[in-house]
Amino acid sequence: MFRATLAICGRTVVKRQFISSVSGESALPPNLRLPPNLIGVAAEKRPPPSGSDLPVVRRCEADVPAHLTPAQTWLESLGSRDSDQLGVVDLHPDVFSVPIRLDILHAVEVWQRNFKRISYANVKTRAEVRGGGRKPWQQKRTGRARHGSIRSPLWRGGGIIHGPRGPTSYYYMLPMKVRVQGLKIALSAKLAQDYLHIVDSLEIPTPDPQYLQDLVKHRQWGDSVLIVDVGEEFPQNILKATEDLKTVNIIPALGLNVHSLLKHESLVLTLEAVKFLEKKLLWHDVRYTPLYPFKLPYSDLP
Amino acid sequence: MSASVRSMSLTFCRAARVAFRAFNPATRPLSTGYCLRTEIRPAGGSRDIIESTEEFRFVERLIPPSRIPAPPKHDGPAPSGWTPPSDTPPSLPYMIRRSRMHNVPVYSDIKHGNQHSTLIRKIEGDIWALNKEVKEFLLGLTGKDPPTQVNEITGSIRVKGQFDKELKDWLLNKGF
Repeated sequence: MFRATLAICGRTVVKRQFISSVSGESALPPNLRLPPNLIGVAAEKRPPPSGSDLPVVRRCEADVPAHLTPAQTWLESLGSRDSDQLGVVDLHPDVFSVPIRLDILHAVEVWQRNFKRISYANVKTRAEVRGGGRKPWQQKRTGRARHGSIRSPLWRGGGIIHGPRGPTSYYYMLPMKVRVQGLKIALSAKLAQDYLHIVDSLEIPTPDPQYLQDLVKHRQWGDSVLIVDVGEEFPQNILKATEDLKTVNIIPALGLNVHSLLKHESLVLTLEAVKFLEKKLLWHDVRYTPLYPFKLPYSDLP
Repeated sequence: MSASVRSMSLTFCRAARVAFRAFNPATRPLSTGYCLRTEIRPAGGSRDIIESTEEFRFVERLIPPSRIPAPPKHDGPAPSGWTPPSDTPPSLPYMIRRSRMHNVPVYSDIKHGNQHSTLIRKIEGDIWALNKEVKEFLLGLTGKDPPTQVNEITGSIRVKGQFDKELKDWLLNKGF
């Protein structure tokens, strides 16, 4: 846009604009700060890893269908500020390249919000409000309207007719395969929008939160980052660094859910987390319908 | 159903503890709970009773698998009529995957007792090209152009009329 206006201005300006586009500098003033997710200003895109010389660090463990090829993305590291593009990682297409179904994503997000909801609102009907058993005045000859009790819904302080009644549960369960598909779609969406980053491990040199924020800003990961790893123990440095940060959060892989994926802008997965997620999510494509609940033992659960 | 599942889980738990049950109710083993696969002699107890977890393998082999196995290798149709998909996917602009039980995903449907339709599911790629080919095939088969409904989002085509056998054979001949 800026370059177009310069070209229209005059032919004398054309040379300067040509030089600036050749040298790769942006024609915007240097002290202008833009948010990383501003629509219209393209972030510096790295080339996709399909034609690179770096080795493929991780192949898919499960069989990839013959008509699909694995999705590829860069392997990065959190160790230093500039260490991205350490290698190339293969991702299974049935987890990271599924067709994006926004209706399933919406259904799973709404379910996640509402299935835990118990509304405690409760109001009293005319039978439960204290008092109101006696007829306030006789039926005829008083000149006033006829009434049977002082707690009828017409009266001030009377009962409510169709109000909220008692704790109401909004619990319902979507089918297991729909929820699994929602997770796959959310992961595919993150990969498709360049918001997915694969990291070899979560070791950082300092427990300083400023280091993580500088890293996120330098690599243009976005406003909020969700870091996922397998297992219960995390390195102490990353735990301390993310403890007080509101926008950078760390969760175990079992806690991955569609709401967190939508809430955080970018997602950072470790290689073990990718392996774990692929194993768990692909099992649902080849499993039997449950003979008894999957909480009980089977011989080959993932 | 829940009662049978519960009784099944109870029998499972009971079967898991079969090795620990003492024959003589008067002398019970001192250690309870699940142990490793060793022979344990209870300390200080009578020498008649030996705890052993070696027999647990009889329980383990009864636990069912959760994954559908891959079918054995057949060249051409199996004796039951089932045909495996071709090893290389056919070079067409669309692809039809097999169901989780390794069958062709063509299903027939009846509504209100008289409305027959056929559903082709699990379509990936150019669904309109497949729609055109299905219409041409059924035109050649019946002489009539059957109405079809294409759902791009779910990757399925619904055809009016009951053609599930013919469409299944047609797709098998293509190599899906």
